[in-house]
Amino acid sequence: MESTRNDLIELLEKNKDDYVSGQELSRQLNISRTAVWKHMKELEKDGYMIEAVSRKGYRITQFPSKLSPNTIQWGLHTNWIGKKIIHREQVDSTQIIANQLAREGAEHGTIVIADEQTAGKGRMSRPWHSAKGKGIWMSIVLRPNMMPQHAPQLTLLTATVLAECIDHYMGVRPSIKWPNDIFIHGKKTAGILTEMQAEQDRIQYVVLGIGINVNQDEHDIPPELRSIATSVKQETNQEWDLRESIQHILSGFEVSYEHYMANGFAHIKQTWEKYGYRIGETVTVETLQRTWQTVIVGIAEDGALLIKEEDGNVDKLYSAEIQW
Amino acid sequence: MLKVQEIRELIKLIDESSIDEFSYESNGTKVSMKKEKESFQVEEVPKSSRSTYEPVQVEVDEKPVATAEKSKSVATQEVEETAASTNYDHEIVSPMVGTFYSSPTPDSDPFVQKGEKVKSNSVVCIVEAMKLFNEIEAEVNGEIVEVLVENGELVEYGQPLFRVKSE
Repeated sequence: MESTRNDLIELLEKNKDDYVSGQELSRQLNISRTAVWKHMKELEKDGYMIEAVSRKGYRITQFPSKLSPNTIQWGLHTNWIGKKIIHREQVDSTQIIANQLAREGAEHGTIVIADEQTAGKGRMSRPWHSAKGKGIWMSIVLRPNMMPQHAPQLTLLTATVLAECIDHYMGVRPSIKWPNDIFIHGKKTAGILTEMQAEQDRIQYVVLGIGINVNQDEHDIPPELRSIATSVKQETNQEWDLRESIQHILSGFEVSYEHYMANGFAHIKQTWEKYGYRIGETVTVETLQRTWQTVIVGIAEDGALLIKEEDGNVDKLYSAEIQW
Repeated sequence: MLKVQEIRELIKLIDESSIDEFSYESNGTKVSMKKEKESFQVEEVPKSSRSTYEPVQVEVDEKPVATAEKSKSVATQEVEETAASTNYDHEIVSPMVGTFYSSPTPDSDPFVQKGEKVKSNSVVCIVEAMKLFNEIEAEVNGEIVEVLVENGELVEYGQPLFRVKSE
């Protein structure tokens, strides 16, 4: 059913400046003309505007801006990511739903996406403000065939995917704060939170949570956060199509993930360091035990943060918060 | 823990080697052996009937720092064993390097405490590295008999985190 609808959208997309006859659609999709018409009515519910002209056929006149599994899948050319999409208008957190689905056996590449999160969460359950329709709030279920100790590299991989999307598609160069916060012009724009269920030598699943501030105006951001948080729109003076942005991220993720699984972390490290924030500078680092000043050297072959202590020794950090 | 058979094997190997002293430690068990050279070559007293090659008696004791001291007239080797707690049969180990969190948020109660019953799918802690939060499950039904690390501690790959007496 859904795949027929996708095929229908694809057919209309290919001929978007022209009309496609009902007969032609019926033949190509191998369904009756009545069935074609029914699918079109469903597409209109998703926000497509389809013009029907007698003796010419059908033409898409408007693509939906609202999010739904159909609108995201339409035009998404991926092999496994986003083949299954769950969309909700409002959720407490996409992570909670995705974790639950993963426990129930959701397949590799399943996406959970929401227009609004009422209890979006960050590191150690810190709240993440996720305004309705203004950003991308989504979780990706993965079942990677790798050792659990390498899984943290997926969070750095995701950061590079977001950074490249913002850089190449949205046209503003972001920075990555170790391990995976995205900053534009010194203000936080996106965050990633990853949760994993694993045994000693096998990953059951990973749920990657991504939050991106896309179209918030300054007044959409809580006053206490305005000095430290921003959106892509504020930094580019342009509104961004969420659907297209999501598609860019998903297809970019699939390419990068496959490259990583086949070739390892070296390429990710290179990209990460290209966007790495404050490399070579002195920063304040905080762990649960202590807070101190140190110089960021870069990242290690496994993604750990490399810092240079006062005595000149280079140390590796696996978990810490960098403050600025 | 080492089996008696394995300890015998070790003694034999060390006996035949030029090593004077040997110690081995794993999971709270410590074995150390020492040769007293001058008396070693003197004689073999068949005091122990347990094995033919064994010039000494070996005692493996469950008590902490138990030393088996033998008569000085015979060649002496000491086997020392320390076991912190043997009342467990399963260790929950960390699948990665990272920070150990005993509770889901800084303000909440720990996932589990000593003496608590757990099921195989009970979450016992979180290990975090690079903002990947790994919820660790008990993997056996039983009772937590020992919590080996503290909240906020850095743990290594394979490091034991909890000891469990399984049901």
